[in-house]
Amino acid sequence: MGAKQTANLEQDQGVSFQLGLEKAHVLILKQEDLARRNMILDVILTLSTLRYTYQLVYLAAPRLFGASIDAMMFKSRGIGLLFYDERRIDEAVPAQPLQVEQTPQTSQQDDKVVFTELATLRTMYLEMERSINQLRDDLMTLHNSRPLPDKVSSPTPSIHSIASPLRFHQDSMQGGELPSYFMNNPWLDVLSKRGSGEREPIAG
Amino acid sequence: MDFGTSDFKFGPITLGEQPRIVNNRGYFPDKNSVMYRAFQATSEIIVGDEIPLYLQSAEDLSSRLIYPMRNGMIDRNDVQAWRVVQSLAAYGLDAFKPQPNNGFHGYYVVASLSSISPRYMYERLMSAFQQNNHGMVRAVTVIPQPFAVAIGHGVTTCVVIESGHGNSQVCPISKYPIRTAQVALNRGGGDANAITSEILKDAGYGDLANEEALVRRVKESIGLVPQDLDRTLEEAKRSPRKVRAVYKVPGTRIEIDLENDSWSRFLIGEYVFNPNHEIFESYFSRGMPKPRDVKMGETVFRGMLDFGEAIAASVERCPVELQPLLYREVLLSGGNFSWTVPTKLQDLAVDAPTKVKSLLRNRGIKNVSVKMTSSPQFSVWHGCIIYGFAVPENYEWDWQRLEGWMKVPN
Repeated sequence: MGAKQTANLEQDQGVSFQLGLEKAHVLILKQEDLARRNMILDVILTLSTLRYTYQLVYLAAPRLFGASIDAMMFKSRGIGLLFYDERRIDEAVPAQPLQVEQTPQTSQQDDKVVFTELATLRTMYLEMERSINQLRDDLMTLHNSRPLPDKVSSPTPSIHSIASPLRFHQDSMQGGELPSYFMNNPWLDVLSKRGSGEREPIAG
Repeated sequence: MDFGTSDFKFGPITLGEQPRIVNNRGYFPDKNSVMYRAFQATSEIIVGDEIPLYLQSAEDLSSRLIYPMRNGMIDRNDVQAWRVVQSLAAYGLDAFKPQPNNGFHGYYVVASLSSISPRYMYERLMSAFQQNNHGMVRAVTVIPQPFAVAIGHGVTTCVVIESGHGNSQVCPISKYPIRTAQVALNRGGGDANAITSEILKDAGYGDLANEEALVRRVKESIGLVPQDLDRTLEEAKRSPRKVRAVYKVPGTRIEIDLENDSWSRFLIGEYVFNPNHEIFESYFSRGMPKPRDVKMGETVFRGMLDFGEAIAASVERCPVELQPLLYREVLLSGGNFSWTVPTKLQDLAVDAPTKVKSLLRNRGIKNVSVKMTSSPQFSVWHGCIIYGFAVPENYEWDWQRLEGWMKVPN
């Protein structure tokens, strides 16, 4: 029903509790701690950092410390202040939790979106890498099967002679389209290589 | 420019799918005739669409109306025929004369001849384009018609069978024409006309059997190709009504009905593909000319070889590794392969590709693909257009390989 004590992960003079989703930590001072120099300052600094881990942080000090502790310092920082003696424990300043209840859920949702986008990017990257590798292989195959001519000065007529009249004829033809018997016709490539050095038969 | 047996097809790439077509013929008019003087014609030869305007009596036709390439060849010394060819070439160029001063430097002309054309035909045709072309020709080349068919059809390794009026040619192609493997047959559409004429005589239509144009139309209307002649004749004689052949001559009262002799319509198609069946012997014995082996120039035309045997003989002259590839693409081109199959006779009649495939199968050649060319009427012209478009302009004419551009000085 009440808060359950949990393991003190801070390894200090304190106890940790959990009540539902809320976690609380109480740093307990003893009478001999009063003699420590800058004790209050250290406590405040310690508990301030713990506020990102625990929803509620408290300082529990002996009632005797009450006169020497400025409660406003705790209140302004959201740190709770408890005074205790042999008979009872009083909450002098209630702890103010940070608005961290929403943060874990929001980050989980954002994480999911980010992870999804990352997965998509990864898939796209892998696909692109595959495509590039395939193109590289095709280019190597093409290069190996059709060595470039030695005489670069005499330009290969195939592309030049096809491209220029292609533009001319497309301009002068109705609709700018080549006739159907040109489409996917392998003879365009074969004939464009006439005279390019391949062995030609004698007519006989 | 496709110089076909009957038609001259011509035009630049801008015509798109179809060329312009006129008859491959020329008319030498009588200069004293009224029509010649009325039209103030200056040309000694009339070609193109104007010919009918000058035609006179029927007797006039044989001497003045010249068909230069009736059998795909022109005799070296046939002056009139060569003049007609030259006139047609000029006619074709003039029909597409460009606007002046637009940067035009002359056409690249691709002419196409029969594959059995001897070298002098190449020389004379190229010469025709080099004379008086008025800057219309930049370069000229000549390619064989089967080669043009393969180009127009888009197949680089194939066997093209071109069958026209007077003869047929089997031409293997593998990026180039394999000229040493060509087989020529002395048999074409004219032989189908001959047997049709005999059939008409036997059926009592002797008076019509001598009119060539009518006989040709009868052939095209009733002629069929049988899958298997013996089986088909047996079925046809058993069911004469099923195969009844009737042809009504348009614009006349003349009707040709073969009645119980309708089975003979299957002889017309069979004779084209395989004249060796014994049934044809009776026709030969009665005077029908038997196709015989003839030598024209350097080419021997075989008379009685069936198409299956002709294709096999041609392919087997090619390298062994190439042969299976050639059998996989057999293309049929020419009007002599345009055989219809009536729906109700699909069990008895076949089309040309099926018949050729059957003839090859009978010779043990099984992995065969036989097709008609994609555009039987225009595939030669398509091939000429593609050739002219793609071949580099610096590929010069060579009389050894018979390819390349012959530049025309202007």
